[in-house]
Amino acid sequence: MKKSPLALLLTLGLLQTPLAAFAATAPLDLVGPVSDYKIYVTEQIDQLVTHTQQFTDAVKKGDLATAKKLYAPTRVYYESIEPIAELFSDLDASIDSRVDDHEKGVTAEDFTGFHRIEYALFHENSTKGQEALADKLNGDVKDLQTRVAGLTFPPDKVVGGAAALLEEVAATKISGEEDRYSHTDLYDFQGNIDGAKKIVDLFRPQIAAQDKAFADKVDKNFATVDKILAKYKTKDGGFETYDKVKENDRKALTGPVNTLAEDLSTLRGKLGLD
Amino acid sequence: MKDFDPTNAPVSADRRRVLLGLGVAGAALAGSSLSGNALAAAPAAQVTEAPHSEKTQDHNEFHGIHQTGIVTPRPTSGMVVSFDVLAQDRDDLERLFRTLNNRIEFLMTGGAVPQVDPKLPPLDSGILGPVVIPDNLTITVSVGASLFDERFGLEAIKPKRLIRMVGFPNDALEADCCHGDLSLQFCSNTADTNIHALRDIVKNLPDLLLVRWKQEGSVPPQAPLKPGQPAESARNFLGFRDGSANPDSNDKKLMDQLVWVEPGSDEPAWAVNGSYQAVRIIRNFVERWDRTPLQEQQSIIGRVKTTGAPMDGHTETDVPNYDKDPHGKLTKMDAHIRLANPRDADAMKHRILRRPFNYSNGVKSNGQLDMGLLFICYQDDLEKGFIAVQTRLNGEPLEEYLKPVGGGYFYTLPGVVNENDFLGRSLLAASATPSTKTA
Repeated sequence: MKKSPLALLLTLGLLQTPLAAFAATAPLDLVGPVSDYKIYVTEQIDQLVTHTQQFTDAVKKGDLATAKKLYAPTRVYYESIEPIAELFSDLDASIDSRVDDHEKGVTAEDFTGFHRIEYALFHENSTKGQEALADKLNGDVKDLQTRVAGLTFPPDKVVGGAAALLEEVAATKISGEEDRYSHTDLYDFQGNIDGAKKIVDLFRPQIAAQDKAFADKVDKNFATVDKILAKYKTKDGGFETYDKVKENDRKALTGPVNTLAEDLSTLRGKLGLD
Repeated sequence: MKDFDPTNAPVSADRRRVLLGLGVAGAALAGSSLSGNALAAAPAAQVTEAPHSEKTQDHNEFHGIHQTGIVTPRPTSGMVVSFDVLAQDRDDLERLFRTLNNRIEFLMTGGAVPQVDPKLPPLDSGILGPVVIPDNLTITVSVGASLFDERFGLEAIKPKRLIRMVGFPNDALEADCCHGDLSLQFCSNTADTNIHALRDIVKNLPDLLLVRWKQEGSVPPQAPLKPGQPAESARNFLGFRDGSANPDSNDKKLMDQLVWVEPGSDEPAWAVNGSYQAVRIIRNFVERWDRTPLQEQQSIIGRVKTTGAPMDGHTETDVPNYDKDPHGKLTKMDAHIRLANPRDADAMKHRILRRPFNYSNGVKSNGQLDMGLLFICYQDDLEKGFIAVQTRLNGEPLEEYLKPVGGGYFYTLPGVVNENDFLGRSLLAASATPSTKTA
């Protein structure tokens, strides 16, 4: 064992002032993509409102089979715009919190929204007693629609949303814990990925202008994820349940997902956003 | 009692320094103004002031024919992390090994972290500050049997004795802490240094490595030795000294004989200067153990708990004489140390180099403490070494208090001899053919 002689010399490295590596993208260049993104989010939320109405109607009518069928396809619209939806943390908690967000679990009074109803439909196999929860979900989603309509989209939140969506996938989709009763995680998975890809697509000219190789690498990893997800698509346009996903495909998804999370975490910086 | 002899005056003086947190280094500085200030300042230190260590710049040389972290003295903190390799082809696999090589060389050497535009995520977690300290870090890279499946064309050059770990009768292996394509053993003076290194590797290899399981452990530091006092092994969570009969890791010839795969063996040529690594996560039922009479604990282990001496000896290093105790009157025939090493000619062929750490993870659903031994050992022949020894231990009375739950077998790659070499180079070169290269 030796004492490192480098230590003192290396502290000199601290004297180097880090230079700004990326010139900020001109603010005007971001106006177009940001307003296009607002249009996209608005369309997604309109779909979310329509589908949630149908879903909650089925729950209230006691039509278990239809309610089960509509659960996953309805949520997709929420998952694809999650970074914006999460700006309203009270609604995010009441619409999309999971059982482990609550110390008292399924009996917690403030456990409401999609996953509470998922528990009733898929675990208890019943719509009984879900009327109030259905009404609340419907109301919350409409509230979200109103609030988003009045929101000025901050460019850093929009661009940063791509990374946030990948963090969602890495943290809760790979493990299959998002939809633990219905096992419909692949819908959410695809929703998060599509939402992130939309952001990258909208800012593609600006990204490619800064770093073409980076843009290509991101595209390649999105394509890899889509290709694996496509293996589990069903004829009706939906997805197989997550327990059907083979171990080697779960692993094969993890590499590109974690790499996208790393790469997209630099996106705001690359576009010169604070 | 050997641990602390209050009648010995010089020891008491040393112990006072230890209690002041200065230890040997503090003693060495005695008389200098620095030491005087430190002594005076110690009682006035602030709650949040960082603990001091004179060892943060200690470092191990990355280059060498063998990897470090095997015969290197074991520091306080250890961690084994097992990974699935996500590489899609041989080019990916080479990129994995080259990146690992470069990160490990940097982490073991230390140095300033390059600064980037603050609009970007920093390149380093920053938990060791802007200048990474080596802190005696070693990172040892080993590969599991599953890396030699059809993916990379390595089937033909798998080390001969490398297999997926098979459960022993007392094992209750949990799938989520077993096996893996690649293992990294981190050892350093502080747990934070190991964690910094792990996070660096995870951040730099998101597309090639997936953490499968991780187990941290520690070794309790001992009071400085008195002059002429033989070295003592650290205690495990059963309260016994662990590693007493370990072969001398400073005996180069013995290490060549027991630990390192040498030229001329029946192992593939690329594997020369590597070693077999066996890792076992062995849970100890400590509440039950603590409710067991001392004489029973001692007869189960085969050693005196206070001193670590064998039943017929006085100090830990005394060698038990089983010839004089053929019926197990002093040391039971099924005592742990007697089964593990019967001290006969045959047993000499089965010796392994142990490098264990104590681990403590949390609480089980029954309210019992989840803790035990992160057992790690190295040998040049996995069958003759760990597997043979553990097989002899099958059914030992100690099993009542142990439950191995995880781990795996790995082959530790040969060392990196110079700047032109890299971890895994010999493995890749041995299997490189035009047809597999493009496969």
